Amino acid sequence: MPLHKYPPRLWEALKLQKGIYARLPQHYLKSLQDTSPPTPVHWKPLGVKYRANPKTGHRERVQDVPIPIYYPPESQDGLWGGEGWVCGYRYANNDKLSARVKKVWKPQLFKRELYSEILDQKFNITVTARTLDLIDAAYGFDFYILKTPKQDLNSKFGMDLKRAMLLRLARRDTQLYPDDPTRREKIYNKYKQFEVPADEAEWVGLSLEEAVEKQRLLEHKDPEPLYKSCVENLVKELAMQKLAEPQVVEKKD
Amino acid sequence: MFARAPARFVLHSVCASVRTQNFSHSACRNTVVVERWWQVPLSKEGSPPRLYSRRHRVYRFVEDTKHNMKDKMELLLTQTVPKLGGRGDTVFVKKSVGRNKLLAEGLAVYPSPENKEMFTEERRLLREGKKEDRIQTRTGQLTVEFLKKAAVEVGIPPDAQQQFLLTEEIVCRNFLRKLGVVVPPHALTLPDEPITRFGDFWCEVTVNGLDTVRVPLSVGPYVDPKKKQLMNLDAAAMETKAETDVE
Repeated sequence: MPLHKYPPRLWEALKLQKGIYARLPQHYLKSLQDTSPPTPVHWKPLGVKYRANPKTGHRERVQDVPIPIYYPPESQDGLWGGEGWVCGYRYANNDKLSARVKKVWKPQLFKRELYSEILDQKFNITVTARTLDLIDAAYGFDFYILKTPKQDLNSKFGMDLKRAMLLRLARRDTQLYPDDPTRREKIYNKYKQFEVPADEAEWVGLSLEEAVEKQRLLEHKDPEPLYKSCVENLVKELAMQKLAEPQVVEKKD
Repeated sequence: MFARAPARFVLHSVCASVRTQNFSHSACRNTVVVERWWQVPLSKEGSPPRLYSRRHRVYRFVEDTKHNMKDKMELLLTQTVPKLGGRGDTVFVKKSVGRNKLLAEGLAVYPSPENKEMFTEERRLLREGKKEDRIQTRTGQLTVEFLKKAAVEVGIPPDAQQQFLLTEEIVCRNFLRKLGVVVPPHALTLPDEPITRFGDFWCEVTVNGLDTVRVPLSVGPYVDPKKKQLMNLDAAAMETKAETDVE
C-alpha cells in the first residue's frame, strides 16, 4: 500500500500553510483555528469530572458526550440560536425491548421582523423561540449579534450581519441617521466596546473560499504589456548613448 | 414578608451576574432536549469519546422547553402605559406582550444596566432638582385625583371627648386607616387655630412637595363601625319608607 508523506486527515490543515492560504491575514487564520465547542443546546451537560455513582455511591469519572446535531443549509440563512436537527433513533413505547425507530427532532421556526439599531434596518429573519430569548437576555438584537461567538451564532447570515455592524462601527460613517448627528454619536458610543480596526472587521465571518477570493483580488495586478518595459529600456539606452557621445563645441572666433 | 424580600433581591443579583457572564447559558424555551439510552464508554482524558456503536444514536426524549412554565419578562417603561405604570417603572409582562407591543412600539426598553442607571438618575433629579423642573409623577397625579374626591373623618373616643387636641399624627393615622393613604406629617397642614371641638374643618395635603390638595376633615365622636353600618341601614330604610308614604 502506498504511503503518503502526510496522512490524508492532515491535508486540510496543511493546506493552510502554503500558497495563498498562508498569505491570509493572521487574525483571520487565528479565527479559523478557534475550535471551542458550542454551548450545549439539545442536551444537558453534567458539568463535573467526577461524581458519586447513583447505584453504588462510589466515586467515578464521568464525561460529557455531546450529541451530534445536523445543521441544515437553511439554518445558515436564519438565526436558529444554536438549534438544529437531532437525527437519531428512539425506542417505540419508550421501551428498550421494543422496536428501534428512526426519529428526527426539528426546531419550531418563526418568522420575525427584527430591527438593527446600528444598520438602521429591519430584517425578516427565521428565528426560534430560543433566539428571541437570547436576544432579550442580551438586551437587544445588536448586542446579541455582536456578543455571541461564531460557534454559538452558527449562521452565515448572522456573521454577515456582524461584519456589517463591525464595519460601520469601525468606520463611524455618516450614512447612519445623516440628519441626526447626536443620535448617531449615541449609538456609536453605546456599542463602543465591540469596536475593532476596520481592516480586521472586513474579514470577520468570511468563509475560507470568500477569504481566499478576497485575498486574490487584493493581490491581483493587471499584467503589464511587455512593450512598456522595452520602450523604457530603449529610451534609457538612447539617453545613455547621447550622453556618451562627445559634444562638439565650435570654437567661436 | 420581610424574610422574603431580601431573598428575592439575592435572586435578582444572581440573575444579573449570570446574564453578564454568558447569556447563552440562560434558560431557553422551545428546545428539545434528549439523552442517550446507552452509555458511551469512557475515553481517555483529553481524547474525544468513541461513538462508534449504532446504539449511541438512540436517544430518549427528555423535555421540550416549549411546554415549560412560561415566565415573564422584565422591562423598563418609557411612557405611561394604562394598567401597567408610568415612565421609569420596572414591569414584569408576558413575553409576547413585551416583544410585540411594548418594545415594538417603543413604550419600553430593556432593563440593561445603562438604562436602569439612566432612569434612576432621572428619578433622582425629579425628587431633588429645582422646583420648576420637577414634574408630578403618574402615581402622584393619581393620588391627587383620589384626594380631591376624598374626605376624612376623625372619631374621638368617649374618654377623650371632654378635652382633646387634634394633632397631625392623629390625622395621618386616620388617613391611613380610613383611606389607605400614607401621609407623612410634614406633608400635612392643619388650620392655624388648634382643633379642640367637634365640627368640619379643612386640611391640606402636599403630594411629592408639588401639588397641594384641600381635603375636608370632619371631627366627631367615635362610633363603632358595625353600629355605624346599622345606623346607615336604618336611615336608608326610613328614607324609602318616607318616600312610599309620600306616594
